[in-house]
Amino acid sequence: MASPSSFKQELLKKWVLGLQSCCSMAKDMGISERKKAIKLSADLAMASARDGRTCWSRAVIANASKQNESKILVQKILGSECERLVKASSIGFSSCNKRFTSKRILRRSCSSLRRIRRSAPKRVQASSIAKRMVKKRTQLLKGLVPGGESMDEFSLIEETLDYIISLRAQIDVMRCLADASERLKSQ
Amino acid sequence: MDMGDKDKFGLEKGSGDPVNYHSSNMSTDWRFGGANISNQSMGLVPTDNSIPVRKGDLMGSSVSLVNSFCPTIWDHPNSLNLGFCDSNAQTGTNTSNTVAIRKGIPVCSSTSIDKALDIGWNPTISKGGVFLQSNTGIIPQSLSQFPADADFIERAARFSCFNAGNFSDMMNPFSIPQTLVPYSKGGTVQAPIQNNEMHLPEAAKEVTPSADHGATEGNPIENERQTGNFMRHPDEEKQGIGVSSNESDEADFSGSGDGQGDPSMLESAGGDPSSSKGISIKKRKRSGQDNELDQVKGAQVPGEGAKDNTETKQKGDQNLTSATAKPAGKHGKDSSQPSDAPKEDYIHVRARRGQATNSHSLAERVRREKISERMKFLQDLVPGCSKVTGKAVMLDEIINYVQSLQRQVEFLSMKLAAVNPRLDFNIEGFLAKDILQARGGSSTMGFSPDMGMSHPQLHPSQQGLIQAGIPGMGSPSDALRRTINSQLTAMSGGYKEPTQLPNMWVDDELHNVVQMNYGASVPFNNQELNGSLPPGHMKVEL
Repeated sequence: MASPSSFKQELLKKWVLGLQSCCSMAKDMGISERKKAIKLSADLAMASARDGRTCWSRAVIANASKQNESKILVQKILGSECERLVKASSIGFSSCNKRFTSKRILRRSCSSLRRIRRSAPKRVQASSIAKRMVKKRTQLLKGLVPGGESMDEFSLIEETLDYIISLRAQIDVMRCLADASERLKSQ
Repeated sequence: MDMGDKDKFGLEKGSGDPVNYHSSNMSTDWRFGGANISNQSMGLVPTDNSIPVRKGDLMGSSVSLVNSFCPTIWDHPNSLNLGFCDSNAQTGTNTSNTVAIRKGIPVCSSTSIDKALDIGWNPTISKGGVFLQSNTGIIPQSLSQFPADADFIERAARFSCFNAGNFSDMMNPFSIPQTLVPYSKGGTVQAPIQNNEMHLPEAAKEVTPSADHGATEGNPIENERQTGNFMRHPDEEKQGIGVSSNESDEADFSGSGDGQGDPSMLESAGGDPSSSKGISIKKRKRSGQDNELDQVKGAQVPGEGAKDNTETKQKGDQNLTSATAKPAGKHGKDSSQPSDAPKEDYIHVRARRGQATNSHSLAERVRREKISERMKFLQDLVPGCSKVTGKAVMLDEIINYVQSLQRQVEFLSMKLAAVNPRLDFNIEGFLAKDILQARGGSSTMGFSPDMGMSHPQLHPSQQGLIQAGIPGMGSPSDALRRTINSQLTAMSGGYKEPTQLPNMWVDDELHNVVQMNYGASVPFNNQELNGSLPPGHMKVEL
């Protein structure tokens, strides 16, 4: 299929770009640093291959560009669209965050009021338990998916869908490269 | 006109779908329509209920129209399940529609079908005569069918007569109350078309619940005239009734009829007994339409009686996690949405029978159904989730899966870091030794015939590389990309879920592009799907 492989190709291309720049940057990195660099470049490649169309990719880019050490990498990998994407992601992100935090504050205040009022009925309904469970897990998922904090449930699921697929592609590419380099090494 | 409509739908298939899809209920509509078609076998539903029969007319007409667009889709009439779309929509629809391979989401090509079906649905709900007006695309073809169906026309007339009787006292401002009365009595109607337009929507509203006890006017001539009136004002009606039979109708009413009174007056005139909920027109209309929809669906959904259908739908609404009930349950709302999406930004919801029509609960239901749709996709994506029902458990699985994927990424990056102490991914080295040499056995390095083909390709470039050092990122990455790509394709071929992954991938990409509703992204997506980056032809961005 053209699309999955094209995404992987994009990913690989950008990743190799990033890796090359990493390589030139640090010759004496420890293994964990190397791993971080590899992972970072892979993530950025994945996010940029998505081209800012998804929230999580924008979040990844925004997060990376916020940190100083990864900024160069971001620029390298994103290439020409770097400024546009970074700006878009940061803007969207900050506005989302603001909106979300304000909503959260409002919700919390409302719920605290509600709790005070509703202390009388002690009946625990199955639906409320289920809701709590779902809510807990949704919070977990929000923590997992980059940029998930500022998403409502529906878009969270959409983002998760896309994120899962991108992760799978990323894993494929990485595995390929890892195996290739391993084989190379063993020779 | 035929061709024009086809073109319109084709266009919509190709590019207009992000908007449609955004309503996010296309899949359910798709399923519903699919079930409809399959059950009806593209024909009338032979029930004694007047409404379904009429619906069958419309369905037949719209289906024939739709069929001309995407014949492949209808080759796979199936259950209402999402799996239908999964297995069939992709194979069927990918032929003509590059954008269309969306799992579950009725593949953008089907949005046209959905719209067509919707157009077919909503007007039906609004009792046929309105349908003629509101459905611009399908009207030309279906018009020929309607006059021929005297029964249908009679019913349409009956409804409007019934309504006219109701509104005769209220319609005074509209200056044609007198004419309405004789109309309701079955006399010849010289009522201005405007009034007809006004009345029909209300007729649709009002009469739905009382569909079966309209007066038997039985004046075919007058009916035909009326339908002729309808035909004469397709545009007005189209605006007036619209494809979306809900809140927009209120505004549309005022648009179509001059001096049309406020809806409250009309609704009080209606005094709809069956509607136990609503005061507002739209809600009553929705409930009425839902009743009708329910009835129709009950007639057409396979293996379910009408009663069962409504029951299951209600149950399905309450029970989020019941997968079987959900498809049936979604249709009531979803049929309105795809048609609404292109017209309005907000989502119109129809209250189902027996459901609260509180706007909050309606919105809640919309939200819930959207979410459950997405969860279905996730179910297919996450391995081992197919048997799981229940949002919490599924979310659990999803979380575990995402965590495992992330851990895999970490592990692989660690492995890479360990293997390459200097982070120098020696690309020529890869090309020279590892990738080019055919190594059988390993699935990850599944060297397929592609490798053999790429081999001669790469050798000269590789040699050039080695001689020239690294001439730049261009060639090595290109070559590496090519080989890795072939590997990847081979690998994905040997994947555990070979067919699923690519399809899902495309679905998701499509889905995201479409759903994100970026105008620019649509051509982007098309480009992607058309293989704008075929292996070996990628442009290198440095």
